[in-house]
Amino acid sequence: MAPLQLQTVTKSFGAAQVLIGIDLAIHDKEFVVFVGPSGCGKSTLLRIIAGLDEATSGQIIIDGTDVSRLAPVDRGISMVFQSYALYPHLSVYENIAFPLRVQRLPEAEVKAKVARAADILQLTDKLPLKPGQLSGGQRQRVAIGRSIVRNPKVFLFDEPLSNLDAALRGDMRVELSGLHRDLSATMIYVTHDQVEAMTMAHRIVVLNAGHVEQFGTPMELYHHPATRFVATFIGQPNMNLVPATVLGTDAGGLAVELDGGPRLVLPVEPGAARSGDRVEVGIRPEHATLGDGIAMKVRVLERLGGVAITYGIMSSGQRFCAALHGDAAVAEGDTISVGVNPADCHVFGASGAVLRRLKAPVLAA
Amino acid sequence: MRMDHYTLLQKIGIYLGIGLFLMFVLLPFLEMFRTSLSPMSHLFHAPYEIWNSEMSFQAYRDMWDKVPLLGRYIWNSIYIASMVTALSMIIITPAAYAYARLEFPLKALSLGAFLSINMFAGAVLLIPLYRLLNSLHLLNTYWAMIIPGIAFLIPTGIWLLKGYLEKIPRELEEAAYIDGASRVYTLRRVVLPLAVPGLIVVGTSVFIGAYAQQYLFAITFNQVKELQPLPAGLNQFIGYQSVEWNQMMAAALTGVLPVMAVFFFLQKYLVAGLTAGAVKE
Ligand SMILES: Nc1ncnc2c1ncn2[C@@H]1O[C@H](COP(=O)(O)OP(=O)(O)O)[C@@H](O)[C@H]1O
Ligand SMILES: [Mg+2]
Repeated sequence: MAPLQLQTVTKSFGAAQVLIGIDLAIHDKEFVVFVGPSGCGKSTLLRIIAGLDEATSGQIIIDGTDVSRLAPVDRGISMVFQSYALYPHLSVYENIAFPLRVQRLPEAEVKAKVARAADILQLTDKLPLKPGQLSGGQRQRVAIGRSIVRNPKVFLFDEPLSNLDAALRGDMRVELSGLHRDLSATMIYVTHDQVEAMTMAHRIVVLNAGHVEQFGTPMELYHHPATRFVATFIGQPNMNLVPATVLGTDAGGLAVELDGGPRLVLPVEPGAARSGDRVEVGIRPEHATLGDGIAMKVRVLERLGGVAITYGIMSSGQRFCAALHGDAAVAEGDTISVGVNPADCHVFGASGAVLRRLKAPVLAA
Repeated sequence: MRMDHYTLLQKIGIYLGIGLFLMFVLLPFLEMFRTSLSPMSHLFHAPYEIWNSEMSFQAYRDMWDKVPLLGRYIWNSIYIASMVTALSMIIITPAAYAYARLEFPLKALSLGAFLSINMFAGAVLLIPLYRLLNSLHLLNTYWAMIIPGIAFLIPTGIWLLKGYLEKIPRELEEAAYIDGASRVYTLRRVVLPLAVPGLIVVGTSVFIGAYAQQYLFAITFNQVKELQPLPAGLNQFIGYQSVEWNQMMAAALTGVLPVMAVFFFLQKYLVAGLTAGAVKE
């Protein structure tokens, strides 16, 4: 049974509609990441699940119970805030013990539970300190400690790593994934960082302007983005979108001519596309290689070692980015040609919806 | 950021300004002190002399005989101001929290009304207050001086403390709410401990206000000698023939002394509280 279900959840602040009919079913012990650009409604959705905000309409169901009208503590959730929200006047011990004090548990039980949480999070020697005496990563762990002592069914995290520096963020990603494994609990994690989403999630919810663009595993989103938005949001560097005209359809798929580029036959379901329609062809930078195909003038070259990120401009004025081999023999100012395998291309209709790819990699279920 | 990037000229200007300001504030006190040390015979001496050889603390001894209830008056002052402060804070704290955090009808309107109360000088309301206290049979009791004091000080107190409470991150309360804490529990365990510097600032300002406004309420609502606060009691140094200025000033300074001592120890919090939230930590 799905421990968490959202049924047509909407939220408006006055006239502004922030969430538009969110439907989700999250599996038991799943690590789900809500990802999307700033302001798309991630925090709002999380706060509605937590019970900090009330949905304008729709239901939140946890473990088969409609919790939409329940207080947070009765929903079986706990939440870690972006700012950590530690109590600065209380010791680490009392911060972690706070939920237990609210429950008025006997001191011995409090002690045991705090000790266990501190042990999991390697905070045992920090218990007497005040939050102000801890580093960012340690504060983050205290906030997590406070959320695990109650044994909630669902953990909610709102951008928990965004206050940390890049190196620490990488470490904490690994720690959080480990924590998820150790606690074997359901976790919902909000971030605007697609790298966090791709690396940590079992499944990712891509939110955009208050609605779900796509809900799937990281590799599903990578190989089968449902919309143009998902395609450009997932993957680093971003997918190129090259305008093209449909020439016709045949057994092999859709024949198109890229603006300022070659003709390609792309193995996708043509659907309603007709000759003469305008479409966009999505090409991931990492799928471009030096070879016959798209001609472009190199404007900026970033050699990262293993790869050389090559930013160029096509004769049509279209920007194009290719992640070439690190030693590729190119220089800024060169005019080069990059080739793509038609099976790697994505095609988006005028509405932004994708045309199904026929030869995409098979995903493990 | 370091703030001492002033040129010498700017520094001189700043210190001159501060000096001028302090002179206005402190000269009356110096004059009080000088007066309290001078024997009566020297007080109206011309030309003015800052120091003379007969200066002594004699007035500080004589004043207790001249006005035997002086100790009682000082005690009354502190008692009334303390009662006003304690009771005001009991009302101000939850009210300020409500204004800082909750939504309710007429919130903005009532806040505006609080401000406008301050525009009525206490004196305008003395007659209505007199009638009110009379019908409640509270005239000539401590309450006659405490209750109006509270009423006049609550509005400013709410404004002050509300501003302070609003600076406490909302997420701290939300975290407590997530963990099942009630509003009252959160107020007690999270908000108030964090608001201590703010509470001290507001408490101090209420206390000062209560101390300053006693005179008006005391001479209007109270005839009982034993209940008079110091400012009203000082009237007794005004005799039919002469005014014992030196003893009066000595008594006034002595009365303020315990209060000053307390403020001295709270100073650290006062500065912290007044500048709280001005910088991100
Ligand atoms: N309390 C509120 N009142 C009005 N608008 C709000 C409120 N909270 C959030 N919003 C608006 O809702 C939108 C989504 O906000 P939020 O969920 O915080 O975005 P995200 O977390 O994805 O960055 C934003 O446009 C924001 O301005
Ligand atoms: Mg957010």
